[in-house]
Amino acid sequence: MRTLGRIFLVAVMLLALPAGAVLAQSTDGTVTVLHGIPGDGGFPVDIYVNGDYTAPFIPGLTFTEFAGPVTLPAADYSIEIYAAGADPAATDPALGPLPVTLPAGANATIEAHLDEAGAATASVFVNDISEIAAGETRLTVRHTASAPTVDVLANDGVLFSALSNPNQASGDVPAATYTAKVVPTGETEPVVFEADLALPEGTSTIVYAIGSLADGNFTVAVQTITGLGAAPGGVPTGTAGLATDGFPIALAIAGALALVGLAGSGVALSRRSSN
Amino acid sequence: MSRNTLKALFVISVVTLITVTASYLIGTEPATVGDVGAIEDSLSEPSFPTASAPDPQPTVVPPPDAEDGGPSVPVSTGLLPDLPAGDPVIPVGLKLGSLGVDAPVVPTGVNQRTGQMAVPNNVRDVAWYQFGSVPGERGSAVLAAHVDLASQGPGVFFNLRTVDEGDVVEVEFSNGTVRVFRVEARTAYQKDELPLDTIFAREGSPVLTLITCGGGFSESSGSYDSNIVVYAVPIPDRDLGSAG
Repeated sequence: MRTLGRIFLVAVMLLALPAGAVLAQSTDGTVTVLHGIPGDGGFPVDIYVNGDYTAPFIPGLTFTEFAGPVTLPAADYSIEIYAAGADPAATDPALGPLPVTLPAGANATIEAHLDEAGAATASVFVNDISEIAAGETRLTVRHTASAPTVDVLANDGVLFSALSNPNQASGDVPAATYTAKVVPTGETEPVVFEADLALPEGTSTIVYAIGSLADGNFTVAVQTITGLGAAPGGVPTGTAGLATDGFPIALAIAGALALVGLAGSGVALSRRSSN
Repeated sequence: MSRNTLKALFVISVVTLITVTASYLIGTEPATVGDVGAIEDSLSEPSFPTASAPDPQPTVVPPPDAEDGGPSVPVSTGLLPDLPAGDPVIPVGLKLGSLGVDAPVVPTGVNQRTGQMAVPNNVRDVAWYQFGSVPGERGSAVLAAHVDLASQGPGVFFNLRTVDEGDVVEVEFSNGTVRVFRVEARTAYQKDELPLDTIFAREGSPVLTLITCGGGFSESSGSYDSNIVVYAVPIPDRDLGSAG
């Protein structure tokens, strides 16, 4: 993959953000970069931003590695990816320039990866950082590998079906450890990937399928975003009313009887004394 | 009815009224003991993101200058995270000497139907909210139990509303160690005013939070209108065994 030609990319814009992904009063966005293109020695790359060639913004990133998250002002950026050590002023980038618009409050992952046919490309994903209900966890799977359409199984049940490059599927499920499998869509085998995933409560786990099935370097990279959890809605701990701090029922009855007795005897006594 | 009988009835009625009033006043515990606000403040660090909270000091990492010799962007491997090694150390027992409580603790999560904390459907067990903090660790560790159940009578936390400042709470863990806590405060919250983000805070000073129901009771809904909440803090010097 070192021989990647220059690849022209259409503008990848972050549009139609989910409402929960936007922090209303922030003027910054959060960016993570994933290297998902296999190659010799992990295909190390230098990543430059906005044509500033004085030094790589991210030097020496290799296959399966994440850089970030970094907080950047919301703006338009141009990203160029070069083979590590290449002179950006004298050579064409291996990938890019890639125009990326980062809206305020967005949490995004920029990924260099293979398309279904095995050519280098790039995608920008907006990460859902909306609140996760108490007791649940968020699992997202992004198909960015040179591989056919797949199903994702959780504990042998279909969780996401017919997922194809470069698409994603996501869902909130009860926090637990799941046995995850990736199989050709509609099939149960061959299992092209299998792993036990411990998915913590209140955490978003994003699994990227990367590499090439045909070339034998298909694998996954995992990004986690913590701190999205919520508190339960209450604590229900009584149904009998034995510990109520209202007026206790026995005392209330005794009090009522005493009031009746008081009124009755008082009235009778006053009538007799007036006779 | 003779005049003397009427006089006796009058006197008995007056005495009964006085007795009823006195026993009500004597039998009523104060709703709050200790400094509830101080405990709430110690847990007030935001544990959960709030969409409207402005970032007072935005952290902007500019593209690096040449003299930096390299950028400050952190790099991490995308390898699958390891599964938790071995069994986690969790609370398994609770002792509240002042109430004579010595109860098993079971881990629970969320009732998927109601979204509320799950509490075992018996009056014997104390529930530990396993998605929150471990007792003695940072944040609020929540132990909840029934005050009563219509089908089973009074519960293990029936007298939680009488716990006093300074009472000692012991939590036993699955590895045999014991952590000791001192009650700092007790209060009652209307259920619709329960400070959930404080009570279930995952950051802040270590607080052991004991919860049951109390306050007024609705026969029609079969539920109380308040939660009794007891806040205790660790006394590390009195822990038994190596704290874990």
